[in-house]
Amino acid sequence: MSAKERETANVGAGLWKGIGMWAWVLFRISGLVLVAYLFVHIWVISQGRIGGAESLNGLFEFFDKPLLVFLDLMLVAAVLYHALNGVRILLMDVGVGIKRHKVVFWVCMLVAALAFCAFALKASSFILG
Amino acid sequence: MAFRTETLERSRGGMWPWLGQRVTAVLVIVTITLHLVLTHYIAIGELSFDNIGDRLAGGSVLVNDIVLLVAVVYHALNGLRMVVLDWGLSNVAGRRLFDAVLWSVGVLSVAFGIWALWVWVS
Repeated sequence: MSAKERETANVGAGLWKGIGMWAWVLFRISGLVLVAYLFVHIWVISQGRIGGAESLNGLFEFFDKPLLVFLDLMLVAAVLYHALNGVRILLMDVGVGIKRHKVVFWVCMLVAALAFCAFALKASSFILG
Repeated sequence: MAFRTETLERSRGGMWPWLGQRVTAVLVIVTITLHLVLTHYIAIGELSFDNIGDRLAGGSVLVNDIVLLVAVVYHALNGLRMVVLDWGLSNVAGRRLFDAVLWSVGVLSVAFGIWALWVWVS
C-alpha cells in the first residue's frame, strides 16, 4: 500500500483533521483514564488478600451507590470505545477497509454503542434505584 | 500537514513495543470481554468475596483473569510510554531510565495482582 493510502486511512494522529482527529484524541483520553483505573482496580481486588473477605465486602458495599455504578458504566463506555476504535486501528494495520475507513469507523462505533446499551440496561436498576 | 506518530523509529517507540501493543490488544479484547460479561454483567449486584471465589474455582476464569492482568498491564504501560514519547523524550538515557521504571512497575503489578488473586486459589 502506498504512503498516500496509508495516510488517508487517517489512523492515529495520521491527519490532524476530521473525525480521525477526534477518534485519536478520545482514544488517548480513554486510554489514560483506563490506565489510572487499572491500578485502582488491582488495589481494590487485592484487599481480598490484604484485609480478608470482610474488608473486600465492605468496599463492595461502599461502591453500591447510584453515582458510583454510573461511573462504572462510564468506565464500560471508555473500555468499549477504546476496544472498538482499537479494532479499527488493527484493521487498518493489516490493510482491511482502508478505502472505506469511515464506514469501518462507524460500524465499530455502532458495535460499541450496542454493547453499551446492553450494559446500561443491566445497570439501570442499580443507578435509578 | 500530515504527520504520523505510529512510526517504528526507536525515538518514537520501536518495532517490538509496536508489535507488543497489538498482540496484547487482541489478548485484552478477548479476555476483557469474558471478564466484563461474567463479572460485571451476569454477576452485577452479586459481587462479593465468596462470589468471586466461586467463579475462580473453575480454573478457566482464573486463567482468563491472569492472562488479562498480564496483557492489560503491558498494554497500559506501553500505551503510557507511547503518549510520553509522542510528547517528547529525546534524551536516550532518559528514555532508558523511563523504560526501566515502566518494566519495574509492570512486573511488580503483575506479581502483586497474582499474589492477591491467590487468596481464592489456596
